[in-house]
Amino acid sequence: MSRQVYYFMYGFLGLIFLGAVAFKVFQPIQVLPRIRLAPGFTLYDAQGNPVTSEDMRGRIALYGFWAARCRGCEQVLPTMTYVAKHLPEQPEWQAGDLDIAFVIIDVDPERDGPVLAEYTQRLRQETGQSWFFVTHPDVRYLKTVVGGGFEVFFAKQGDVVEVDPKYIIVDGWGIIRGEYAYQTIEPNHRRLLRHLNVLAQEIHNSKGAARVAYEAAHLFLCYAK
Amino acid sequence: MDIHTLEKRWIQLSITLLAAFAVLIGVAAYAFGFQVPRLEQRVRPEDVLNDPKWGKVRELEPGRTYEVYLISRTWQFQPRRIEIPRGAKVTFYVTSVDVQHGFKVMGTSISMQVLPGYVGVISYTFKEPGVYRFICTEYCGLAHAAMFGEIIVK
Repeated sequence: MSRQVYYFMYGFLGLIFLGAVAFKVFQPIQVLPRIRLAPGFTLYDAQGNPVTSEDMRGRIALYGFWAARCRGCEQVLPTMTYVAKHLPEQPEWQAGDLDIAFVIIDVDPERDGPVLAEYTQRLRQETGQSWFFVTHPDVRYLKTVVGGGFEVFFAKQGDVVEVDPKYIIVDGWGIIRGEYAYQTIEPNHRRLLRHLNVLAQEIHNSKGAARVAYEAAHLFLCYAK
Repeated sequence: MDIHTLEKRWIQLSITLLAAFAVLIGVAAYAFGFQVPRLEQRVRPEDVLNDPKWGKVRELEPGRTYEVYLISRTWQFQPRRIEIPRGAKVTFYVTSVDVQHGFKVMGTSISMQVLPGYVGVISYTFKEPGVYRFICTEYCGLAHAAMFGEIIVK
């Protein structure tokens, strides 16, 4: 091969490399990571109707873990209510073409059974969003789903249930896209709103040629902070 | 541009070595499960001492998933003795409340630096029963050699 061909080849490879570095450094597109698959489950709402992980397919789901008498999860309902109320104000959610479910998994089925219906109705009316308060009579099954699947700790300690405060965003394919277990400088409700907007942006824009750019953003770990 | 043959060989060797390292890192990560411990969060040492979950082993799913909130301090680990069932996946959250320490579980790929103010996280599935010693790998003072603990996999 002639020298010019070599120069052209190295130049081309160099441009690709520089492009990749620039993509990583400037992050023109940000995404939420694909963390792992969310667990499959069949839980029951207040009326005893089954609610399964398959019911969440095709819609984004925001999960919270809660018990009426809990230690640690006091902020779960206020945070999720705030997100539910203010989500329609987010730029990518204004069109109203995306479906979201707010799912509260109750980890104290013995005591909370009667109040689930009341909470579901109240929050549906208050926020205008789709809420599910679900649980399962067998605590061992809940441990499998909540502890093993979502990796959220809960345990009964005397009269209260200790629950780690954690929020999880699952996309329409059943992939966990965000886990929020800690309080950061940015309050969780703001972070959740921002990240739900990033996810909606990906769903709206990741089509045709732009899909390659979004996949590159995943490849180069251009994750929203 | 003319490049001397020997110089060319060195350039080729350098590129080959870089490629080989990249492949080795990939094999270590995917075939042997080596992980770079990730920084989970920042935490104030005084908060660690006041938070009841620290210094404990917590069962997420009986027999299958556990998490250990391990405190390192001169010159001990807390908890010092961890019992878990065989085949369980354990996630270690490790921090220090005083100086820099290290955390290495012998016979596994778990090894990390432990810094005050930071929480390091690493997961491992203990497939074989036995006693796994964990030690401090950063010199942390006079009784550094006495800073160890054990994981009993039944």
